[in-house]
Amino acid sequence: MEIPESAVNEESRRRAEDAALAALVDQYAGTLYRVAFSVLRNAADAEDAVQEAFLRVLRHRDTLSEVRNHRIWLIRIVWNIVLDRKRRAKTRPETDDVDELARVLPSAGLSAEELAAARQHHCHVLACVDRLPAKERQVLLLSAFEELSSVEIASVLDITESSVRSRLFRARNLMANLLDHERSLR
Amino acid sequence: MNSTPHQPSAPDADARFGEDTLRLIARLPAPPGLEDRVHAALRSASNRSLQRQDFVDGARPQGRVLAWPKPISRKSDWMRAAAAAVIVFVVAGGGWGVYTHVQHGLPTKVIAMPRVFQPGGFSGAGAMRTPQTLPGPTVNLPAKPLPAAPKAAKKPATRPAPARAQSAQTVSATTHTAEPAEPAAAK
Repeated sequence: MEIPESAVNEESRRRAEDAALAALVDQYAGTLYRVAFSVLRNAADAEDAVQEAFLRVLRHRDTLSEVRNHRIWLIRIVWNIVLDRKRRAKTRPETDDVDELARVLPSAGLSAEELAAARQHHCHVLACVDRLPAKERQVLLLSAFEELSSVEIASVLDITESSVRSRLFRARNLMANLLDHERSLR
Repeated sequence: MNSTPHQPSAPDADARFGEDTLRLIARLPAPPGLEDRVHAALRSASNRSLQRQDFVDGARPQGRVLAWPKPISRKSDWMRAAAAAVIVFVVAGGGWGVYTHVQHGLPTKVIAMPRVFQPGGFSGAGAMRTPQTLPGPTVNLPAKPLPAAPKAAKKPATRPAPARAQSAQTVSATTHTAEPAEPAAAK
């Protein structure tokens, strides 16, 4: 039985795309997970978001060769997914987020009191972050990733680099005010 | 004396903006086995899409309940057509057989039962049913002021007799009527 040449080419092309996709998973799954977790603050949801991102890539794997920066492209995909999920899952109480965070944050070498104080501090910070306007909040969350430069943040959010800087400046000012206000109330 | 204003160090500033928490979250390690789970999800999704593609292309998808036998399914479109023709022939023949066995045009065997009037039974007595009609539109005329009724003259309030006295009277009345009968009967 003769196999047509086009089928062979198709098969080899598909295998090459699968290999490229597998390499992307190995390389960037961790980064995407951290980005997803920073917004969703839930391990299972973050993992789901990563899987969904790679499934989207699988659906559009024909365009993989056209992508210039795979890392930014993937972060952008997962970022859109997590923002969408966060918008839909607003009913979940904040206490769940904090409990989940307390479970995963490093606690080695901390006494029970220090651990409780640290947890309270993180809780206040995250509550203040949630109170920021969406644009400022997004820039602040992405700026926490040391692996992302302001140019990369700009391309993830599809804005200019100067907008990233101004938003970050505003976000820091707002955060400082909010945290001061929280401190004065306590 | 050093007069320079207090400049917060970088960690202090981070703590002030709360970015230490965000950095901590951003540095969290991914759960172990994440890549394997993503690989597995991609593999299953890829298999599913391949099956769907095969189905579109005309090949037999895996997991199909009914399938042609292998010698027929390979390169035998004419055999499928023949099988379809046989099915059509059998169905049409069966229908024709049923049609020819049914005799048309025969009078139906209906026995008219005589009407039996039972004595003592109820009859309609020639009553006719009249359908209920809907009430027509009614015109609400403004109510005429009624002439004021003459006030009844107040009667002087009479005090009812006490119940005990009333009952005593009735008792005495009954005894007075019954007592004269007894001596007469004795006599």
